[in-house]
Amino acid sequence: MENDGKRRAFLKVLGLGSVSLGTAGYSVVMEAEKAEKKPHYGMIFDQNKCVGCTDCEVACRKVNAVPEGQVRLYVENKTDPETPMEKKYVRVSCQQCEEAPCVAVCPSKACHRDAKTGIVSMNPDDCIACKYCIVACPYDVRFINHKTKAAENCNFCLNTNLAKGKEPACVEACKYKALVFGDLNDEASYINQILHVKDSVRMKPTFGTKPSLRYIPVVKVGV
Amino acid sequence: MNGAINFTYGFSHGVEWGWPIAVYLLLAGISGGALIVALLVRFYKKQHEDTPLLKAASLVSFVTIAFGMVFLVGDLEKPLYFWKILINYNFTSVMSIGVMAISIYIPLTLVMCLYLFEKEISMVLAKKSQLLDYFALVMGILRKFRPLIEVLSVVFAVVICAYTGFLISVLVRFPILNTAILPALFVVSGLSAGTASASMVATWFFKEDAHSSDMKTLHVIEWPIMAVEMMLIAMLFVSLLVGNEFQQTTTVAFQSGVYANLFWFGVMGVGFGLPLVLNFALGKHVAHSKMAFYLSGMASVTGVLCLRMFIIYAGQTFGV
Repeated sequence: MENDGKRRAFLKVLGLGSVSLGTAGYSVVMEAEKAEKKPHYGMIFDQNKCVGCTDCEVACRKVNAVPEGQVRLYVENKTDPETPMEKKYVRVSCQQCEEAPCVAVCPSKACHRDAKTGIVSMNPDDCIACKYCIVACPYDVRFINHKTKAAENCNFCLNTNLAKGKEPACVEACKYKALVFGDLNDEASYINQILHVKDSVRMKPTFGTKPSLRYIPVVKVGV
Repeated sequence: MNGAINFTYGFSHGVEWGWPIAVYLLLAGISGGALIVALLVRFYKKQHEDTPLLKAASLVSFVTIAFGMVFLVGDLEKPLYFWKILINYNFTSVMSIGVMAISIYIPLTLVMCLYLFEKEISMVLAKKSQLLDYFALVMGILRKFRPLIEVLSVVFAVVICAYTGFLISVLVRFPILNTAILPALFVVSGLSAGTASASMVATWFFKEDAHSSDMKTLHVIEWPIMAVEMMLIAMLFVSLLVGNEFQQTTTVAFQSGVYANLFWFGVMGVGFGLPLVLNFALGKHVAHSKMAFYLSGMASVTGVLCLRMFIIYAGQTFGV
């Protein structure tokens, strides 16, 4: 009889435990579903369309008040010297990683993910300019702004154009539509439509940083 | 790397973390290393008296880590805002974890100094009897915790040495830094520099006999420490040599250029070669001289400084 009582108690605990665990698990799933509704902003750089005019660079510097001699966005000429007529340019800027090392290493949480948009951005007031984020970035696309003395990165114009409901300055400025900005979590968005029909790559994917920038490379045709 | 598309331009210009960080890494290593060695000698020999070695090690560990803070804060672009790091913690950041460890470690080294220099401090305070009473009261309380404080000091000294390695080994862009060996190398080279510093300070300031039992112990253990240090450096080099394309390109740092000179003359020549020659190659007369003792001690510390400089500069020069 004594054993029976113990078994009953054990079964009770087991039953209660599974019920509570089950509901807890369910609420976790609910949370995950809610989180999925958050936007995940991304950008496409189409190398086939970029002519290297650097209008994007100019617009970025103007809109985000980037000091003279510094850039958040740079267009690098990667034309193969052996085929000088086949121009190739590449956008160099923050890759807006989903697993951002800069956010992970920042000791003062100045480099953070914006709660509303999920964009990796900077709070210059909390930045002590230890440069840890700069050396931790696998893409080397962060710098100390000479004026604010704080680390800085491309944040898709979060505090400037995006706040006003406009597209990032570089996207607005591009005459050739080489840049597409949008919400990767929105199945109907233009950026997703392009990603469905075109092959794109992420930079240095082996670092596991899951960049939100996608590059559509120039490929040889007619082979 | 994608063969199809990539960029090689970067927004940082060369080495972002320069010599102040290398000096800080050295000072943190000396601080931790000195305290670890002196306290382990104390535990192993079951000493209860305050030896000149422990006096020296406590003083060295406190002074070096305090100076280290000067270099660390001085390297910030906004040094006056360093307090922000103390109010905003990020548990995924090695730097934040290190700051937490440091804020426990510095008081520990300070308390160690209070234990070891109680007489001296009392003498200074003797003129102001009220202060002396307070000090005696505080020491009365602290003395009860001494065994605990000593154990905690060893633990946190190891944490300090190791964290300085993890601090830069998480930087995935740099193959020389992004290795598992680095924290171990920093602990061992810290022990080496710490041993040298503590024994020099003990003999110079606290009149420890250069042939006393403690000094003999240090003299025995410093060679195995050096051997392990060499082995770890060799392992680091081999792991790069047999690694991927990017790791292989970094081996140039050991072979030619300024950093190779720093490595072969500084780390290998001064750090390992000079002490070995002074102690083993020139006969017993030289090996037992005071000059050889201080010279090889300073050579050890210089070698570890060169190692930190090499790691910091060569490490950040060769990126993926």
